[in-house]
Amino acid sequence: MKWLRRISFGILLTVAAACMAAGYLAPAGYEHQFRDLPAAGPSAQHPMGTDDVGRDRLARLLYGIRVSLLLAPLAAALATVMAALVGGVAGYAGGWIERCMLLIVDLFLSIPWIFLLVTVRAALPLNISPQASVTVTFALLGMLGWAASARVICAGTRDLMKSDFVWMARASGFSGFKLLRLHVLPNLRDTLLAQFWISVPVFIITEANLGALGLGVAEPLPSLGSLLGELQQLVTLRPEPLRFVPLFVLIVIVSCFQILLEKRQVNV
Amino acid sequence: MVRCASLGLLRLVAIMLLAGLMGATLLRIAPGFGSDEQQFNASLSSQSLQALRQARLTDSDVPSYYGRYLVSLLRGDLGVSHSLNQPVRDLLRDRLPATLRGLAVALSAAWLLGLLLAAGAQLFRSPLFRFLANGMSGVFLSTPAAVLALLFVVLRFSPFLAAALLVFPKIYRYTFNLLQESYELPHVLMARAKGAGTWRVLLWHVLPAALPQLLALAGVSISMTLGVILPIEVICDVPGIGQLAWQAAQSRDLPLLVNLTLVVTLLTVCATMLSDQARRSFTRSTV
Amino acid sequence: MRRWWPWILLLAGLQLQAQPGGELRFCIHSYPRTFNPLLVEDEASETVRYLTGGVLVRMDRITQKLQPELATEWKVSADGKRIRFKLRTGVRYSDGTPFSAADVVYTMQQLMDPALHSATGDAFRSGEGAVSAQALSPALVEISFPAAVANLASLFDTVAIISSKSPQREMAVLGPFYIAERKAGSYILLKRNSNYWKKDANGRPLPYLGAVRLEVEQNREIEALRLQRGEIHLINAVVPAVYDKLSRSDPALVRDAGVSADTEQVWFNQMPGAPIPAYKLAWFTSTNFRRAVSEAINREDMARIAFHGHARPAVGVTSPANRFWFNGKLNHHPYDPDSALRRLKQDGFHMENGGLRDKSGNEVEFSIITNAGNSARETMAAMIQQDLKKIGIHVNVVTIDLPSLLERVSSKFNYEACLLGWINADLDPNLQMNVWLSSADNHQWNPKQSSPSTSWEAEIDRRMKDQASSSDERKRKQAWDRVQQIVWEQEPFIFLVNKDALVGISPAVKNAQPSFLRPQTFWNVEELEVK
Repeated sequence: MKWLRRISFGILLTVAAACMAAGYLAPAGYEHQFRDLPAAGPSAQHPMGTDDVGRDRLARLLYGIRVSLLLAPLAAALATVMAALVGGVAGYAGGWIERCMLLIVDLFLSIPWIFLLVTVRAALPLNISPQASVTVTFALLGMLGWAASARVICAGTRDLMKSDFVWMARASGFSGFKLLRLHVLPNLRDTLLAQFWISVPVFIITEANLGALGLGVAEPLPSLGSLLGELQQLVTLRPEPLRFVPLFVLIVIVSCFQILLEKRQVNV
Repeated sequence: MVRCASLGLLRLVAIMLLAGLMGATLLRIAPGFGSDEQQFNASLSSQSLQALRQARLTDSDVPSYYGRYLVSLLRGDLGVSHSLNQPVRDLLRDRLPATLRGLAVALSAAWLLGLLLAAGAQLFRSPLFRFLANGMSGVFLSTPAAVLALLFVVLRFSPFLAAALLVFPKIYRYTFNLLQESYELPHVLMARAKGAGTWRVLLWHVLPAALPQLLALAGVSISMTLGVILPIEVICDVPGIGQLAWQAAQSRDLPLLVNLTLVVTLLTVCATMLSDQARRSFTRSTV
Repeated sequence: MRRWWPWILLLAGLQLQAQPGGELRFCIHSYPRTFNPLLVEDEASETVRYLTGGVLVRMDRITQKLQPELATEWKVSADGKRIRFKLRTGVRYSDGTPFSAADVVYTMQQLMDPALHSATGDAFRSGEGAVSAQALSPALVEISFPAAVANLASLFDTVAIISSKSPQREMAVLGPFYIAERKAGSYILLKRNSNYWKKDANGRPLPYLGAVRLEVEQNREIEALRLQRGEIHLINAVVPAVYDKLSRSDPALVRDAGVSADTEQVWFNQMPGAPIPAYKLAWFTSTNFRRAVSEAINREDMARIAFHGHARPAVGVTSPANRFWFNGKLNHHPYDPDSALRRLKQDGFHMENGGLRDKSGNEVEFSIITNAGNSARETMAAMIQQDLKKIGIHVNVVTIDLPSLLERVSSKFNYEACLLGWINADLDPNLQMNVWLSSADNHQWNPKQSSPSTSWEAEIDRRMKDQASSSDERKRKQAWDRVQQIVWEQEPFIFLVNKDALVGISPAVKNAQPSFLRPQTFWNVEELEVK
C-alpha cells in the first residue's frame, strides 16, 4: 500500500500548503462580513458560499484548519508524552510506585476538570488575543487528556519488563530512564501512536464543545471545531452540502495521519 | 484474598474521598461560584438579593463543607441540590439507572464493533477491509457527539447507539495495534510457520498476548464511554446523570457536583480495579 | 353476540380514559425548581404556576387590559396604598376545599413574609413597614401597603391564591389544571381541575382540555423537530432559524406574534472602583463615547442577519409593543459612522494608522463579554466587532458561561462591556425600579451608588420615584417618557434590537391567540382545544 501512503502524504502536504498560503488563496479575510450575502450559496466570488454572517466559508476553512492542525497535534503530542512518562514509569517501577501512580491516574479520570478550564480562562486577561486564548485551551487539553492511555501504557510496560530482550538489556547494565527510553517505550510505539492518532480529532472536537462554556476559540478566529459546530443545527440545516466540508476535511486529514503513522503490516 | 479485597476497598474509598474533595475545590475556585441567575431579576429587593448571595455562599468553606457532607453521607443524606431544590439522593436514584443502561448498551456495542473490525482486519489481511475499517473509525472519530446524537434523534434511533459509534474508534484503534504487535511476536510467527489455522492463531496465541493490555483498555473504556454518554444525555434530554452534571456545572451546584464526582469515581475505579484483577489473574494463570 | 361485549367494554373503557378536549403537549426547558407558587423564579415553575394557580385578576395578553378572575371587582384607593377585592363566591379548590377571603389573607401573609424572599412578593414592597391583609367578609378582602404601589392591581396577575385550610397545602389549586403526575427531569402531567369555577359564554365548564403534558426538553432543535412530527403542539419561543425553516416547509406551524417587549443591549462598566484602566473608565463614562459607539453599530443589519429579519432596531428601554408606555416621540439611533467619528473627535480621539486613539495616545480597545451558547448574541457580538472596527475601535469578543459572567457583572465588576438581553415579562415600568434607581443592585453600569454620580441619573431617580408614588396613569406616563428620553440621550444601555415573538402552534390546536406577552401561546389555556 505504498501508493496509499504517498497519496496520504500528498493530501496532507496540499492541506498544509493551502493553510500556509491562506492569505493568498482565500477570497477574503476570515473575519470580513459580506452583509449583503449572508448564508449565500457558492459563487465566483465565494467558491464555498458564505456563513450566516456573510463571511467567506473557504477563508474560514483555510484559517480554521491552520489553527486546529497546528494546535491539536501539539496538544495530542503533549498528552502522549505525558501518558508515556506516567504509564512507563509506573509499569517500570512496579510495586507501590505503580499503585500510587495508578491512583493518581484514576483520580485524574474522575475529577471534573472542566472547572479548571473555566478558572484558567477567567484568569486570562479579557483582551487576550484569540490566538493566545485558543493556544492556552489546547495546552490545557493536552495536559489533562493523558490519563486514559496511561493505564494501557502501564499494562504494556509491565508486560515488556518481563520480556527476554529487556532482561538481556538489564543484564547488559541498562537500567532506569535509559532502559525505558531505549528498550521499553520504542516497543510501545503502536500504542503511543494509537493514543496520538485518536487525540488529534478528539481535541479538535473538544475545543468545539468547550465553546458552549465559553472556552472555545474567540471571534472572529475560526477553528475546525467551531466550523463543525454549525452542524449542530441539524434540524434547520439547509440542504447545503458545503456545510459538511469541514467534517469531510477533518475525516480526510485524520485518515491520512492514520495511514502514514500505521506500521506496515507484516505478511508472512 | 481477603487482604487483597480490603486493600482494594481502602483504595477505592481513598480515591473517592480525594476525588470528591478535589472536585469540590475546583468548583469552589471556579468563577461564578455563588452566582445565581436571579441576581438579574429586577423584581427582587436588595434584601432578597443579599439573602440569595448569602445562601449560595454557605458552602464556600470547602473543608468544613466536605467534613459536614461526609458526616451526613454516613447517615445516608447526600444533601440537597441548590439548583433543582431536591434531595440529591432522590435525583440519583431516579437518574442513575438510565445512565447505567445507556452505558451498558454503548459499551457492549462499541466493544463488539471495535473487536470485530480489529480482528477482522488481522484475520482477512485484506487492504480493502482495513481501509474501510480505518475509514469508518476515522469518520466517527471526527464527528462531533452532538451532531451524531441529533442525527440519531432525527432518525429515531437510540442516542446510546450514537455513543457506541463514537467510542468504538478508540477501541478499534488500540485493539488493532495491539493485535498487530502480537501477530509479530516470535511464538505467533512460529505457530503460523508450523501451519496453525487462522482462528487458532488468533484465539490461542494472539489474543492471550494482547489480553493484559486489552483488559486495561476495558477498564478505561468505561470512563471513555461515560465521557461520551454524559454530553449525549444533555443534547438528547435523556433523564440520566449527564443532565445533572450539566446542571451542576452551569449552576455551580456544590452538593450535586460532589455526589456526581463520587459516582463517576466509583464507576471508573471499580472498572479499572476489576480489569487489573482480571489481568493479574490471567497473567498468573499463564505463567 | 357474546363475543361483542369485551369489545364494547374495552371501547367504553377507552372512552372513559380519553381526555375530553384532548391533551395539550409542549416542552419546558428545565424541570421546575419549585411547585410553591409563591417562590416562582424560573420559567418552568412559572409555567406550572400559570396553569394551576388561580389569581384574583388576569391581564388579557391581547388587549393588555385586566380581567376579573377570582375577584369580580376591585378598587384601589386614591393614595394607592389600599386595594379592596370583591371575591367570587361558590368557588372551590381542586380538592374541594372552599375558597374565601381568608385564603387571600393567608396568601398575602405568606407572600410578604420577609424570610421568604419571594420575587413575587418583592414586587409589592413599596416602603418600610408591614403589609396587612384583612378579610372584611368571606367575599371581601382589603390589603394595605405602607406606601403607594404603582399599578397595584395588575401585580395580582402573578399571585396564585393558596389555601389556608387544605391539607394538600399549595398542591390544592384554583386554576384550570392540577398536578396529577410528575417525573423529575422528565415530564409533568396536569389534569383538568373539575372544580374550576370558569364557564364559557354558553355555560360549558372550562377548561376544554382534559390534560396538559409538559415535557422537559432543553434542545431547541429537537423541540422544533417534535413540533413538526406532531409530538408536541406548542413552542413559546421559536428561534429565527427554525422559524424560517418551518415557515418554508410547514407554514401552518409557526406564527409571528409581532415585536416583543424583550430587548438586547450593550452597556459599559462605569463603576469608579472597577478593576479596569482609568483611561478606559474615562471613555466609558463619556456620553459622547457611548453615543459614538451606538451610532457606529448597524442595528438594521443586526436585525436582518442575527435574527433573520425577525427583529427591529430598538429605540430604547421600552419596546413599541408596549403600546401605553412606549415614548412614541423617540426613534432608534441611526447608523452613522461619520457622526460617530465626529463625536469621538469632540472628546479628543483621533485616527492613527487605521486605529483609533484617545487624547493620551492609548489605542482604543475593549472587550465585550456575553454568555456562551446563545448563537444570536454571539452573532451580534461578532457584528459589533466588525462595525466598530470601521471606526478604528478594536473589540475583543469574550463568550463566557453564565455564572462567570454574572460574577463579573454583579460582584467583581471586572469587565469592560457586556452584551445581554432583558426579558420584559411585565409592561409596567415600575417593576424596573431596581434597574433605574442609582442606589439599586441592578443599576448595571454603576450599581449601589450612595448618591447619583451624574445629574441625569439624579433626574432618573426623581422621575422613577414620582411614577412609583403616583396613581395617576397620565403623570406616571409623563415621568416614564422623560426617563426614556434621558436614557436615549445618555445611553447607559445601548439598546440594539427588539426581537419578534415567534411561536409554534400546531394546526390541531383550536382557539389559540398568540401574544408577545408570556406565556405567548397558552395564556388563554382554558379556551384551547386539541382536535
